[in-house]
Amino acid sequence: MLAPETVFHQGPELERAVNRMDFFRLFKSLAGSHGVQFFGVVEIPGETASINLGQAHVLHNFPGSWFEDGANCLAADPVVSYLQQSTAPIVLEVEGNSSAFVGDNCSPRVLVVPLQAASGKRYGLIMSGLERPVAHQQLALIALDAALIFQRYFEVLLSLDSISGLSEREIQIVRWTSEGKTSSEIAIILGLSEHTVNSYIAAVLRKLQVVNRAQMVAAALRSGLIS
Amino acid sequence: MVDDDPAEHVLLQRQMKKVDGLSVKLDYVADIGAAVESVGTGDVDMVFLDNRLVPNDDFRQTAPLLRQAGFVGPIGLISSDISDAYFNEFREYGVDFRIGKDEIDGAAIRFIVSEYTRQQLSEACSEDYM
Repeated sequence: MLAPETVFHQGPELERAVNRMDFFRLFKSLAGSHGVQFFGVVEIPGETASINLGQAHVLHNFPGSWFEDGANCLAADPVVSYLQQSTAPIVLEVEGNSSAFVGDNCSPRVLVVPLQAASGKRYGLIMSGLERPVAHQQLALIALDAALIFQRYFEVLLSLDSISGLSEREIQIVRWTSEGKTSSEIAIILGLSEHTVNSYIAAVLRKLQVVNRAQMVAAALRSGLIS
Repeated sequence: MVDDDPAEHVLLQRQMKKVDGLSVKLDYVADIGAAVESVGTGDVDMVFLDNRLVPNDDFRQTAPLLRQAGFVGPIGLISSDISDAYFNEFREYGVDFRIGKDEIDGAAIRFIVSEYTRQQLSEACSEDYM
């Protein structure tokens, strides 16, 4: 059970987090502990690009109905614009319906915490629907906890994109793929879900910088990861 | 949902009804034997598994039984307390995620459904390449 009244840097939950669901729970708990219902951790694109909530590393619980095409949030959005131009946490007062991150009948206050991964990629935590003003001390605490959770998220999942080696499990899955097994068959063989097998395959594709299973197997053979 | 307390089924069903646009049929069984039988029908897409099911000890005994039955859908482990160290082994036993019972609400359910029905691999990665 998460203890929302406990700041995360004092709790054990960070060390336990191992998958996207765990990080969703941590960010949700952080938001909930400050009375905020909606949050999102998004990757910040280039200066003129939109934020894509469908991107693989995004975690959020914003209702789909807030976004006109269901996933994209335009660069002109004041929240997106702030994330692209700043590195400091802030509470924005968004006017009218100028931001997709403010739902109907929601408070116009949006808390924004820019985050930077060690790889150089930039991300941001967006918390919307803050009913009460946020004191500097509270903002600082939220920013600290967000940075700590995000750092763990980077270590456990995001950094996998830039690590060249494969884990033992990933090698097993590449090997079974090279034998012509489907994800579903590999799942049965290894006692996993098909979702987990596909997660491993997606990670291997990113690591080997290839786009399909045939290329994955070929790249693994060439580099001696499998024989 | 596999839980020896029928009240948990009612509670989860109530939470699911709060999620706008979510169309999920939640079946309930009280023990792992019935769960194995149920996943064997092929009609189950996801399992919410209570950690302790009498007479079994915990998920380390029960989750592998679902996998041995050929179930390849996601298994979510639910418990009133998931802080014990052994919960960290959940992936080794074929479990996809864990969540505390007090953490389950509309937002969590929406994320779970979205996350575990998401197409993770592109069309280019389809399985008919060989």
